[in-house]
Amino acid sequence: MITTEVTFDELSALMKQAAGITVDPKELRESAGSPFDVFGLDSLGLLGIVGELENRYGQSLPPDSERCRTPREFLNLINSTLTAGA
Amino acid sequence: MSNRHPRRAAVTGIGVIAPNGLRTDAYWKSVNEGLTVLDLIGREGCGQLPLRVAGEVRAFDPSGLIEDRFLVQTDRFSHFAMAAAALALDDAGLGGDPAEPFSIGVVTAAGSGGGEFGQRELQKLWGKGSKYVGPYQSIAWFYAASTGQISIRGGLKGPCGVVASDEAGGLDSLAHAARAVHRGTDVMVVGAAEAPLAPYSMVCQLGYPELSTLDDPDRAYRPFTEKACGFVPAEGGALLVVEDEDRARERGVPVRAVVAGHAATFTGASRWAESREGLARAISGALDEAGCAPEEIDVVFADALGVPEADRAEALALADALGAHGTRVPVTAPKTGIGRAYCAAPVLDTVAAVLAMEHGSVPPTPNVFDVCHDLDLVTAHARPAELRTALVLSRGLMGSNAALVVRRGDDSAR
Repeated sequence: MITTEVTFDELSALMKQAAGITVDPKELRESAGSPFDVFGLDSLGLLGIVGELENRYGQSLPPDSERCRTPREFLNLINSTLTAGA
Repeated sequence: MSNRHPRRAAVTGIGVIAPNGLRTDAYWKSVNEGLTVLDLIGREGCGQLPLRVAGEVRAFDPSGLIEDRFLVQTDRFSHFAMAAAALALDDAGLGGDPAEPFSIGVVTAAGSGGGEFGQRELQKLWGKGSKYVGPYQSIAWFYAASTGQISIRGGLKGPCGVVASDEAGGLDSLAHAARAVHRGTDVMVVGAAEAPLAPYSMVCQLGYPELSTLDDPDRAYRPFTEKACGFVPAEGGALLVVEDEDRARERGVPVRAVVAGHAATFTGASRWAESREGLARAISGALDEAGCAPEEIDVVFADALGVPEADRAEALALADALGAHGTRVPVTAPKTGIGRAYCAAPVLDTVAAVLAMEHGSVPPTPNVFDVCHDLDLVTAHARPAELRTALVLSRGLMGSNAALVVRRGDDSAR
């Protein structure tokens, strides 16, 4: 079950891959309560990350996941969903 | 201070990303020397298509010029546009964060849209499924993408727009920007860039009867000759900074040219004989708006489609609109050395016109000899000349015609 946990490291890599945004995982963790737009991630970028995670885990994520405002809120929702579904 | 006379739209910045030069000075050098860079298309996936020759922008590395977050969500045509816009703003002394963001607007023209990006996402759609299509597909292919991204990237919050009126839209966008300046906007970033040389985009063009399918780069695009067999496409483009002339002088930047007059008409897709009257009307309208007599035109940058019927119509339109001066004025078509970059073609010609006036030189028409129309077409070598006023012409395959009159800046700030 723990293997489905999406980490800040992975989120950082996904932000780079899906939206071209470079953010240090450590900084992402430390500023996890800051809104995504502070890091330069727009709503389409977050939507792309949701799509990538859905493909990667073969599982639908809740519609609210693309409306999450902060990295912490997003990872909490994603991980609770993946954990429940595993 | 500016209420005493009508506002004039001055060109204060130029940025070029073209097949024959990735900077304005390199572009001008190639154009003035009459270099041709037409070549067999080398892009992956294009080799089996019957369209063989084009003007490719090679050695363009957007990653050194544009941030990743803009690159991943945009097509090559927007990469060209963003890079050219930044060059133009730097040239105008307006690079960096704008002091007055609401005083700067953006307008571009586009014809092809983001074909390469769209093809990649559609391949994911049919190859893997709808969940694999990235969300940026929703914006990257769209004609409006370059205007939006230039605005976002530069923090430019003035009036923005997109002109979708065929190839002639490149000239219409310049007119649109000039009118925005006349109405009170201080600065407009304006122009066009296209990237129509990806496989999907090329297939879209194969139905054009005007397309040259010759596989010899030196013979594929020879307008105004008996060997004319159509045109070859190109990618790239140019963006200009057009601003209130008084403001430019207050800022102490050179006024490189003034956008003086424009008119556009429509005569129907591929009805080239009818484009004669349409183009003549556009020329007359542009001269009227500029308050310019036919004899004042010192050089004409021709549309030069390369289809015999269209070439004839253009030569006759010049005679119709300019009278006897139409057969005496130097005419040139530098695009025979780089191809036609659709909406960007007349914008690149406008840049060449501004540079020709600055340098006192009419650039030649590469690959063209033995002109078979009653025109003084400049061939082989550039011709030195005192140039104060230039006329730029454009026609689109879908039937739009446009003419633009550009006057030389008076050099007071130079």
